[in-house]
Amino acid sequence: MSTPFSLFIPRDSGMHRLHPLTKLTLVGFCLVGGLFFPGIWLTYIAFLVIILPLAAWGRILRPFLSAVIKTTLPFAVSLVLVQGLFWPGGTPVLELGPLSFKEEGLIFAARGTGRILMIVSSFLLLTFTTRADELMLTLSQKGVPDNIAYIMLTTLQIVPRFQSKANTILDAQRSRGLETEGNLLTRARALLPLIQPLLLGSIVDIEERAIALEVRAFGRRGSKTTLLVLHDTTWQRVMRWLLVLATLAVLAWRIYLWLEPRIQG
Amino acid sequence: MERLKRDFNTISLAMIPVAIAINIAIGQIVYALKIPLYLDSVGTVFVGAVAGPWVGALTGLLSNLVWGLSGLNPAYTPYAPVAAIIGLLAGFFSQWGWFKVWWKAILAGVITGLAAALLSAPITAYVYGGITGAGTDLITAVFRNFGLGIVPSAFAQGVSSDPLDKAISFFIVWLIIQGLPARFLDRFSRAEDVR
Repeated sequence: MSTPFSLFIPRDSGMHRLHPLTKLTLVGFCLVGGLFFPGIWLTYIAFLVIILPLAAWGRILRPFLSAVIKTTLPFAVSLVLVQGLFWPGGTPVLELGPLSFKEEGLIFAARGTGRILMIVSSFLLLTFTTRADELMLTLSQKGVPDNIAYIMLTTLQIVPRFQSKANTILDAQRSRGLETEGNLLTRARALLPLIQPLLLGSIVDIEERAIALEVRAFGRRGSKTTLLVLHDTTWQRVMRWLLVLATLAVLAWRIYLWLEPRIQG
Repeated sequence: MERLKRDFNTISLAMIPVAIAINIAIGQIVYALKIPLYLDSVGTVFVGAVAGPWVGALTGLLSNLVWGLSGLNPAYTPYAPVAAIIGLLAGFFSQWGWFKVWWKAILAGVITGLAAALLSAPITAYVYGGITGAGTDLITAVFRNFGLGIVPSAFAQGVSSDPLDKAISFFIVWLIIQGLPARFLDRFSRAEDVR
């Protein structure tokens, strides 16, 4: 079997041995936290205190950090530049040539970066330490239809094939004289000769795949037995409930902060 | 309801992973050719056109989740509803026969692009503080300089790229459908909508 297309890095660590549902619940908490934590610095604190130690526990700290930085940096730069420099009616605090950084914009950029950091890093933490098929099995057990799990897993497996097919077509067409460099019009004209073979080839793929599925009685109703077994422990169950409570607490806190001035008035 | 069950037949099931892989592959070809477009929903639009709005919506949704899970672009995942809407609209336009004529297909793409820009603006604004980390943030900067709010600026940025991107995607799908043999097209649940 070819390597699936994913970020998963196999390691022998406690983090990897956790049940996928526990990690999913953690991601849920971080998502809600990232979006709804009040103030600016809570997201950064949560990242340093919760996510980084977990990444270290999972022995993926270096690739994890480089992925987080690679993903978050463009947003941070854009935020600081766009919202920092162009905040309408803001109070200038730092000069940059004809423009100036506005205080409100920089505060907004700090909060926004923290939010993105939480969301992206929690998701990356999940994908680095969880096998795709274990994740899909968890979702199936929680009621997600089998078909969805099949689709996700199959996609992750066939994407590398399609990418190499696309590269092959690129090389083949180039060797037949297709111009892929030059001005925009030249490059745009290269698009159709590259896309068309890819699409026609995949049409055949679809038909073969459909036949293969039907031959294996995939559409048949009834539960399916699985080869994969997931291990769960009591303390993980407890952690999951604590995380759910924490998530609700964050939401409640945020709602309270929103309601408070309205009640007073 | 019968039509809905027919939409989710085996060939739709087989088609969705391929459509998502096509989304990714074409998106990367466009990126490699340094063309200032995304064209990352051609597969979704195709599924919407030949298998109906709901299968199209599912394809869009799962496509975004795969972008995230695979590590290609985890930051793209919050836009899953937008991708779903693109598939949904492609399906509805197909139902109304817009994929039978090339210029109607392009127009459907423009409208879908506008809807996508409209829906992604609040997501960009709330999750990402109004920017996308791409070069088009320059447009956002210009509008912010004029005093426009965060959501309208994000919408302006979306409108500058989405309608064109989707119009071309819809046109490509129209071209593909024209080139498909009838025998193959008939296996899809909405074949009568596009022939």
